[in-house]
Amino acid sequence: MNSFEDAHIYFESVSYKYPNASINAINNINVSIKKGQFVVLMGANGAGKTTFCQLLNGIIPHSVGGMLMGTVKVAGLDTKHHKIAELSQKVGLVLQDPESQLFTGSVKSEVAFGSENLGIPVNELRDRLEWALKVVRLEQFIDRSPSALSGGQKQRLAIASVIAMRPEILVLDEPTSQLDPIGSYEVFTVVKELNQKYGMTIVMATHHSEEIAEFSDRILVFDEGVLVGDGSPKEIFTQKELLLKTWIREPQVSALANYLKQRGIDMPEFPITVEEMEKYILELFQYG
Amino acid sequence: MSMVQYYPGKTFIHCLDPRVKVVSLFILTIVIFLITNFIVISLIFLGTLIFWLKARLPISILYFYMKILAVLLVILIAMQALFYPGSTIIFSPIIPEVIPLLGGLGKISKEGLIFGLIISFRLVTLICLMPLITFTTSIEKMALGLIKMGLPYTVAYTATTALNMIPILQTELGIIIDAQRLRAFQTFEKGTFSQKVKAYPTLVIPLIMGSMRRAQSMGVAMDSKAFGASKTRTFLEDITMQKKDWAFMILVVLFCITGVYVNFSGFLGIFN
Repeated sequence: MNSFEDAHIYFESVSYKYPNASINAINNINVSIKKGQFVVLMGANGAGKTTFCQLLNGIIPHSVGGMLMGTVKVAGLDTKHHKIAELSQKVGLVLQDPESQLFTGSVKSEVAFGSENLGIPVNELRDRLEWALKVVRLEQFIDRSPSALSGGQKQRLAIASVIAMRPEILVLDEPTSQLDPIGSYEVFTVVKELNQKYGMTIVMATHHSEEIAEFSDRILVFDEGVLVGDGSPKEIFTQKELLLKTWIREPQVSALANYLKQRGIDMPEFPITVEEMEKYILELFQYG
Repeated sequence: MSMVQYYPGKTFIHCLDPRVKVVSLFILTIVIFLITNFIVISLIFLGTLIFWLKARLPISILYFYMKILAVLLVILIAMQALFYPGSTIIFSPIIPEVIPLLGGLGKISKEGLIFGLIISFRLVTLICLMPLITFTTSIEKMALGLIKMGLPYTVAYTATTALNMIPILQTELGIIIDAQRLRAFQTFEKGTFSQKVKAYPTLVIPLIMGSMRRAQSMGVAMDSKAFGASKTRTFLEDITMQKKDWAFMILVVLFCITGVYVNFSGFLGIFN
């Protein structure tokens, strides 16, 4: 899996220590992610998810400082030797708090901000603005003020402002943790579409197990800065011990399946989505 | 009632190029400080009022400013009337002039009174003129204007971001006050002055900590969007000088030159 050639994101023995910190925030990470993959980062708070996200677009080490060891390559660029401005056209970063990522007076200028900074010609700016707002379904809000939007809309605006810079990789650091269920659903739908329709590589830190099971290809589990789990949702959610150790909640259907398993009712395959569970339960009723 | 609020609109003064507005305000301010000619100041004042009405800005704000200014204006006029070295005495001194130091106090001269009135009028005109510009220009437009006039855009953006932060900080302050009230903290409502002063850190420290955290994550977001990366930054909503902008600018400059000339030539003046 760690073949260098087809990796879109490539970490080789990466350790990182924040300035003035005594221990490493992440320790000896080796991972490679293919183009178009939907990867989810899980783990308790302080496990290293945010550090991992900020390593991807060069915020670490360029803005934050600290001591970075090993190699991080995104879309062929070594983050140590390329500026954030260059990397920002390859990797877009969406943060947790929607409010602190929006700083201009209108939806329009918010989306244009990044591309303006890059000096993109005005004609193309307009095209990008239109496209980005269409993808996140906020076309009708183009002249509004960001402060007049709901939480879910604000976070989708933050996504639009990032994808307007046309990155190949979209990194989202707990984008839904401050949103209500409807807002979260809206954000997940947009991210899923960016992955499936536009082939964007997605790296997302989140705690929403149900959505992960449905959308993602791969889960990376972090525990105190160390990568302790790497596999498909099915592989990860069946590892009861790993989940307990890292405080990860499995999808409710998986919990039910585990419970049934203990009671001696075996599933043909371990379910992680409601649809799979529905199929197995129907089978159980038919033959049981 | 802040000086930086923006009242959206599509009137002539709203649509004027921000550069023209800034430069006009600058020139007119200098002219107002330079001249004492009543008629020229009146013309500036009338022009300001007309644009104020045309831009559909609330007149109540002017009324509010005048109420605040009233005391200052009265003091200003009184000071000039009493101490201006005028020759036409309309009110003789309370203290006879033979007494040293305090002698002649209470004397009011006609020239002093007129000069005090003109100074007050200048101040009133200026106070009406400045918000006419800030109320009809959005923060973004103003920043764009200043950038086009040579201000580095990193500086302009820092300033606009700070201004955009004000409403967010107000909301946050409200949340902190509510949180304190919920825990039966009543010092800000019922406490004595010294208790209130002592309680302020409980309000200010969480506010500062919160805004520092926010600023940090804002910095990450701005850096991620290549802030300050390119020297040749482009602008989605660019501004270009239209014919009407040039016309207005030339008009203001011509008016100012004429005004200053009239003032110093003594023509139309009440006194030289």
